[in-house]
Amino acid sequence: MRNRTKAQEYLTAFVMLLPYILSFCVFFAYPLVKAFVISFQNFSFLGDAPPKFVGLANYKEALTNKMFLDSILNTLYYSVLVVPTQLIIALILAVIVNDKVKFKEFFRTTYYLPTVTSPVAVSIIFLFLYKTDGLVNQILRHIGITPRNWFNEPSFVMPAIVSVAVWGSVGFYMVTFLSGLSTIPDQLYEAAEVEGAGELTKLIKITVPLLKPMIFFNTVVSFISTLQMFDLSYIIGGSDGGPMGKAMTMVVMIYRTAFKEFNMGVASAMAFVVFGIIFLLTLIQRKLFGEEMSY
Amino acid sequence: MKKFLTILLTLIFLLSLIAGMGAAQKGVFATSKITLKLGAWASSPAEKKIVQNQIAAFKKLYPNVDVKITEIVGDYNQKMQLLMASKTEPDIFYMDSMPAWQYIAKGVLEPLDSWMKKYNVKTIGYESSLLQPFIYKGKVYGLPKDYNTLVLFYNKEMFKQAGLTRPPRTWQELKDYAKKLTTGKVVGLTMNLELARIQPFAYQNGGKVFDGTKPVFTDPKALEGLKFALDLFKEGICKTPKDLGAGWVGDAFADKKAAMTIEGGWMIPFLNDRKIPKDSYGIAELPAGPAGKSTMAFTVAYVMSKNSKHKPEAFKLIRFLTGEGGQKYVVEAGLALPSLKSAGVNFAKTYPERKALVDGAKYAQVYFYGLDGTKVVDVFNKAFEDYVIGKKYDLKKNIEERVKQIMK
Repeated sequence: MRNRTKAQEYLTAFVMLLPYILSFCVFFAYPLVKAFVISFQNFSFLGDAPPKFVGLANYKEALTNKMFLDSILNTLYYSVLVVPTQLIIALILAVIVNDKVKFKEFFRTTYYLPTVTSPVAVSIIFLFLYKTDGLVNQILRHIGITPRNWFNEPSFVMPAIVSVAVWGSVGFYMVTFLSGLSTIPDQLYEAAEVEGAGELTKLIKITVPLLKPMIFFNTVVSFISTLQMFDLSYIIGGSDGGPMGKAMTMVVMIYRTAFKEFNMGVASAMAFVVFGIIFLLTLIQRKLFGEEMSY
Repeated sequence: MKKFLTILLTLIFLLSLIAGMGAAQKGVFATSKITLKLGAWASSPAEKKIVQNQIAAFKKLYPNVDVKITEIVGDYNQKMQLLMASKTEPDIFYMDSMPAWQYIAKGVLEPLDSWMKKYNVKTIGYESSLLQPFIYKGKVYGLPKDYNTLVLFYNKEMFKQAGLTRPPRTWQELKDYAKKLTTGKVVGLTMNLELARIQPFAYQNGGKVFDGTKPVFTDPKALEGLKFALDLFKEGICKTPKDLGAGWVGDAFADKKAAMTIEGGWMIPFLNDRKIPKDSYGIAELPAGPAGKSTMAFTVAYVMSKNSKHKPEAFKLIRFLTGEGGQKYVVEAGLALPSLKSAGVNFAKTYPERKALVDGAKYAQVYFYGLDGTKVVDVFNKAFEDYVIGKKYDLKKNIEERVKQIMK
């Protein structure tokens, strides 16, 4: 009797979960496995020729492709610029907006607003701002700095994209920090004030250590999302990677190989290389922050 | 009760699955009237009108055939390959000369020879260089829809202010004019920094980029010619539309940011749309180099899918569109040049001010580089960019390096 109820429960659970399991298999598991298989094949979209097994040739081609290797460096450069900048700004904003200022609800909303805006819209607006005769250059001209063609010069395109990325996503990290801040008991600050601690001491001695799990979480999330950067780079630089390929990121390179050159095998191989890089960097971050982090 | 609920849930789920399948199958109806799909890229309303007029005329001749235009917005080549991968491509569609061999070699296009024999269509009627990209291993895979050539557009008012009375005819004049016309706000010349615009300079210098079967990357004469054009950029008397903050060359020219530009006949309808008066600009042949004149010809053909279910009707449509009946509308509209020789004669008569476009056809090189076309263009474009905005001054070495990287 007991067994039958168990079986019934399992069946109910299975039926309830079926839609999710199905969609997981169709839209996630199957493509993932298929992509892995394709990464070892000479796979053609067109015609009726069956895919040929080529061993590691696709991986070899991916790892000897100078453009792809450049794109890895570009992406790392981008990540190293974006992650610290955006987390520091987000933390400072969160602390300020937490309880120190008037109209804090207004500021919370305003700083979060860019996060809900489409990255495509954001990039297009910044394309206008950074144009040769755009707003940024007109302001620079007034203070006596030579205007530049920001998105069109090899050494400036990535920093320019970084500024857009930081502007667009700082709100998200601010909100996560805010939720972390609300868990820090007020007594700690009160006690510190009694001891005569200043604002900076409180920030370094209380806020940052207690926010450590949040900082770890944000660093990992921010790192992963910057390593997967596609939209801004694609809109601003196109599939050629902008001036001299300096805006080419790993994911744009995958897109270019798959849908411009129609080389699905190599593109899949690249995708798994990117997966490996992200996996490795995340492991390293775990080590750096210590094993006890529960996030 | 619980058991009942479980069974009920399972039943509902299965029923909805079956219902879904049933609905999917219902969509297939047999019709007596044949529907052909024609794939085209999104273009100006004026250009679209031509195809619509042609189709209306075709329908009058063949009332049992309905033609639907599938307009592809965005990256045409990309979407067409995806449509083919899912076997939902149109029966006949536009095919650009550049990637043509890639499709043909994969065997996704229908060879037209037997159809041409059956319906009495001869290749000799078309401008011969235009067919080259669509003939592979002796078989014809596409018939040219129309074509266009590159010419020099110049702003007459700016010329007058600079004391110039006629368009430049030689390289030296082009350079001098560009220098004279470059002022604080206006640049003398604007063009895209890409092979399709820079290549004529190689041929004007007696060099070659493609020798009929394979690309020639480092012909010294060609390099010298390319360098002449690239140095115009380096000297700041020629700029890309991007550098001028314009969307494309047409915008830069219409907004009076540049006095001259090298672009194709498709500029004319664009300038009309922008309400630029016809007599405020002139159209001239590209200036001649040390070895004479050269320009680029861009052509598009109609090709047939191997998977088409209505091949005889599809071929009749191609024959109509590229034959006398359809090309008449190309001439009338005056946007592009008709690929049929007999219709070309009428074009020059109808539009005397656009004569430069037709004159160029005599000595133009077709935009086509064989099976690896996309890669060839990539090699040159990247090397040009390195040369103009980068620090690699040796164009030849740079091209060779890139060939090693990309071509295998």
